[in-house]
Amino acid sequence: MSEKTPLLQVKNLKQYFKVSNNYTVRAVDGVTFDIYPGETYGLVGESGSGKSTIGRSIIRLYNPTEGQIIFDGTDISGKLDKKATAALRTQMQMIFQDPMACLNPRKKVGEIIGEGLDIHHLYANRKERQDKIDRILAKVGLAPEHADRYPHQFSGGQRQRVGIARALIMNPKLIIADECISALDVSIQAQVVNLMKDIQEETGTAYLFIAHDLSMVKYISDRIGVLHLGHLLETGTTEEIFAHPVHPYTRSLLSAIPSPNPVVEKSRVAESYDYATSGLDYNAGSLHQLEGTHQVWGTDEDVARWLAK
Amino acid sequence: MEREKVLTVRDLSITFTTTAGPVHAIRGVNLDLYRGETLAIVGESGSGKSVTVKAAMGILAKNGKVDSGTIEYTYHHDDGTPETVDILKMKKKDIRRHINGKRIAMIFQDPMTSLDPTMTIGKQIMEGMIWHYKTPKEEAYKKAVSLLKEVGITDAEARMGNYPHQLSGGMRQRVVIAIALACDPELLICDEPTTALDVTIQAKILELIQRIQKERRISVIYITHDLGVVAKVADFVNVMYAGRIVETGTINEIYYEPAHPYTWGLLSAMPDLDTNDHRLYTIPGSPPNLLHPVTGDAFAPRNIYALKIDDRAEPPMFKITDTHYAATWLLDPRAPKVEMPAELKARIQRMKKEAK
Ligand SMILES: Nc1ncnc2c1ncn2[C@@H]1O[C@H](COP(=O)(O)OP(=O)(O)OP(=O)(O)O)[C@@H](O)[C@H]1O
Ligand SMILES: Nc1ncnc2c1ncn2[C@@H]1O[C@H](COP(=O)(O)OP(=O)(O)OP(=O)(O)O)[C@@H](O)[C@H]1O
Ligand code: SF4
Ligand SMILES: [Mg+2]
Ligand SMILES: [Mg+2]
Repeated sequence: MSEKTPLLQVKNLKQYFKVSNNYTVRAVDGVTFDIYPGETYGLVGESGSGKSTIGRSIIRLYNPTEGQIIFDGTDISGKLDKKATAALRTQMQMIFQDPMACLNPRKKVGEIIGEGLDIHHLYANRKERQDKIDRILAKVGLAPEHADRYPHQFSGGQRQRVGIARALIMNPKLIIADECISALDVSIQAQVVNLMKDIQEETGTAYLFIAHDLSMVKYISDRIGVLHLGHLLETGTTEEIFAHPVHPYTRSLLSAIPSPNPVVEKSRVAESYDYATSGLDYNAGSLHQLEGTHQVWGTDEDVARWLAK
Repeated sequence: MEREKVLTVRDLSITFTTTAGPVHAIRGVNLDLYRGETLAIVGESGSGKSVTVKAAMGILAKNGKVDSGTIEYTYHHDDGTPETVDILKMKKKDIRRHINGKRIAMIFQDPMTSLDPTMTIGKQIMEGMIWHYKTPKEEAYKKAVSLLKEVGITDAEARMGNYPHQLSGGMRQRVVIAIALACDPELLICDEPTTALDVTIQAKILELIQRIQKERRISVIYITHDLGVVAKVADFVNVMYAGRIVETGTINEIYYEPAHPYTWGLLSAMPDLDTNDHRLYTIPGSPPNLLHPVTGDAFAPRNIYALKIDDRAEPPMFKITDTHYAATWLLDPRAPKVEMPAELKARIQRMKKEAK
């Protein structure tokens, strides 16, 4: 591994939700990973595995139940002072899974995008503000006149681009992109992903890219983490994960990627995986170091068995 | 077997009034759906997919207006006699009472807009059964729990009492699917039904819908940009661009013999797991702003194969086979012979080989 210091370190993060007196959801259950400056870390895993919760804990929409989050050298897992909050709100941005949930329906899109600039006084005059908004709209493939529309007057994909514009305009060090392209059609997905790559090259922004579309994750990520039931089961470079998946869950996930080939796809069966009958216990075991940056979670026997295959 | 018509859309045009002027979102759409079959609508964001199917459910935003067209829907009364209605001529109240939810169910693109944040998800799944069929409460409860299990939600009974915000994005989407299936609809419209789901659960949901489809011979319309999903489920594909259908055909025709340059672009933009390209192909430019009237072929400005005529006249649908049509002047007998891009051709060759 390189000597670079990570931009973000997540150590043994736990996030529990108490739903009722006798029902607690362990949404995230001891997750550890790092993100380096300028890289893209892809987080994949089934619905409900805790991906969004990790993103939300990192940006401190929740108070972590346990564990440490270190961002740009500062521990941000405890109580935040004013300075740390301001830094967090500008240096880290999140693009949400639900575009509408975070877009104020009574505000025009131009105001929504400019909001961050207003709060943190990031322009000298009206004209500079307007220029910044126009430029970012163009970057995400919207027209300047779209700034005068309300969120509900957009198609689903157009709304998602508003969310992306809103995050990009702040020039953050880390963008947490929660399923930010899932609602887009392929050609715009490709545009947005290429756009995100260009911006990364230009500004050195790092991404935490949360998605379930593995073909896109493969394409955009430098490294990948595979999450299941709140546990990080396997992590490594994209190459390591796709070419040599070790954990049976990772293997089943990769085998379920739909192929855009009708004849093949209509007859394909994916490898099945069911935790309840797998005989595995995610709470037992440890992170095993394989080749390179490749790590897999399991007991010594489990890992030995998987590697022998 | 004789194919039974379920939905026939003819010449549908819809305009929205906005502060910037009228937006001609739908410009003459034709669609045909038969009983037991699956139709997919694909196309860029904003091309009018959602507006089209919402019109079929009698839902139109307040600022929207139908300029022309018919949407004929054929269903069966309880005694088996068929009846055909034009949805566009029906009263809102009658649509709600007799059609929506009961005969035609839709899984909306934005799960939260169709879930009530103040009501438990259990109640919401039971609601339709109780309202349309007067199902007794216990029976509705049991069916709701089993539906939740079927869409892959663990601890289904405990989850019945959850409110939407207590669920993850994909769980919410699955609740919406359970609501749609609760009333045993004859026509199921799925607008991006699995975009928030990971591949394993996606496969499970698609298989569930396919199974129900086989058991009850229901018809399904899928709107999705995931061409892998389309490959798995669809019998027929409609490619939509700027408010029109520009190519229609069987799944194999569209994937192996695409004829419209826009379809070429869509297929080329799919990430290919077999290659390690550093940039994804994107279709140059952006879709036309439908605030301005379209003259000629709407795709022409982005089409490197565009002919002179494309700037002047909108192409008609040219017939390729009985099931395959495309609206591109390239198919006119007088047009020069143009082939699809070489990379796409190679990719299709690879796909065909793999399929053997
Ligand atoms: N209420 C409205 N007022 C004004 N314009 C609208 C309204 N609803 C939809 N539109 C416009 O109509 C066009 C078609 O929208 P539609 O929602 O059908 O797109 P779509 O094909 O479903 O796209 P996506 O894949 O992004 O969901 C878009 O340009 C959209 O901006
Ligand atoms: N505020 C909350 N209260 C109670 N439970 C919650 C809350 N937020 C999330 N959860 C639960 O935590 C678990 C993980 O949810 P999360 O949203 O992180 O999943 P996800 O991996 O993002 O899934 P998806 O792919 O479906 O979006 C789920 O079981 C969910 O029900
Ligand atoms: S995408 Fe739109 S609608 Fe969904 S959560 Fe969302 S709000 Fe809600
Ligand atoms: Mg999520
Ligand atoms: Mg839509």
